[in-house]
Amino acid sequence: MIEIIKKNKLMTVVFLIYIFLFIVMPDKAYLSVKNSMYYIIEMIEILPVIFILTSIIEAWVPKEVILNGFGEKSGIKGNIFSFLLGSFSAGPIYAAFPICKMLLKKGASISNVVIILSSWAVIKVPMLANEAKFLGPKFMGIRWILTVISILIMSYLTAVFVKKEDIALKEEQSLNKVTGIDIKKQYCIGCGLCEKLMPQHFKLVDKKAHIREAVLDDAKINELKEVIDKCPVKAIYLK
Amino acid sequence: MDIFTISLWGITGTAFFISLIKNKQKTFNSMKMAKGMMKNMIGEIIGILFLIGLVLTFIPPEVIKNILGESNQFISTMISAFVGSITLLPAFVAFPMVGSFVDAGASIVPAVAFLTTLTMVGVVTFPLEKQEFGLKFAMTRNILSFVFAFIIALMIGVIM
Repeated sequence: MIEIIKKNKLMTVVFLIYIFLFIVMPDKAYLSVKNSMYYIIEMIEILPVIFILTSIIEAWVPKEVILNGFGEKSGIKGNIFSFLLGSFSAGPIYAAFPICKMLLKKGASISNVVIILSSWAVIKVPMLANEAKFLGPKFMGIRWILTVISILIMSYLTAVFVKKEDIALKEEQSLNKVTGIDIKKQYCIGCGLCEKLMPQHFKLVDKKAHIREAVLDDAKINELKEVIDKCPVKAIYLK
Repeated sequence: MDIFTISLWGITGTAFFISLIKNKQKTFNSMKMAKGMMKNMIGEIIGILFLIGLVLTFIPPEVIKNILGESNQFISTMISAFVGSITLLPAFVAFPMVGSFVDAGASIVPAVAFLTTLTMVGVVTFPLEKQEFGLKFAMTRNILSFVFAFIIALMIGVIM
């Protein structure tokens, strides 16, 4: 019970206010529930479909093909791939940081990284559907067009101001020294995929994935590579 | 249900069915992910939805119209963009919230500014971004995003 309250602070506070209202001003409390009802029904209609669609896209979009299409000279194609990668990925903007860092190391340009980060933040296919539902298709459409144009301009401006030397890229660790795995906690979105796939190695504690044992032998590490690839935010890494 | 939601369910249903035929295991794993995401966010979503009811009951539409309406658009847009920058809220929770404000008489210009900075500018995640990409990149990207959120908002105000 305490666990549930701790995890849902906002919900707990709102419910306490409602309980208080039902005792002191029942008519106001009733009106509030009535006012919320419209949005709750709308949300129930669209929420499952957004989560399912996001997960299906995440599972089927060939990220490897997209990830290989970057580079300094990839030009328009690189820009388009950047938009696609950002638009078809799940999770908040900071979830894109590790992937973008990896792409920079592989030779992606600054402007493409800005496109990925920005479109990752604002342009999500299932999100657009949600926006159209609550604010109207016309609102969504115009905002989408203006946002895409803005992202393009921003990406070129950023490349003018920031050069690759400004970004400290650490040397890749040599792979033969791998002794185990770790998780970048700040990037974990708590989707629970790793726990579902390999409960013997991972456990969700307080919405974050934890590893059960940090030091592993080669056979286990090979087994774990699949999970490392599957992690939607690339938060699991070999060390 | 409106036509829009129905067609979205149709598309998703078809995609799910194709996915199921092509690879059963992959589909089940993705459904596990969907379930996990939903479980993690449902508390926040329920909290926000019931909060909307409270706001609409206790803050009369005239007040919303006065503060976020057409009259003092520049200042309200500036404040909305700023609030969006410092808030860390999933976008799809923000849409019904912003929608309820617009329904109550708020102008769409601050609404757009809020939605855009909410997702693109991250003050809370700034240390993380700085750590990964360096101060110069993080500063440039966040400042540009803030400025462009403002421009997008004003342009939508002109167009719509």
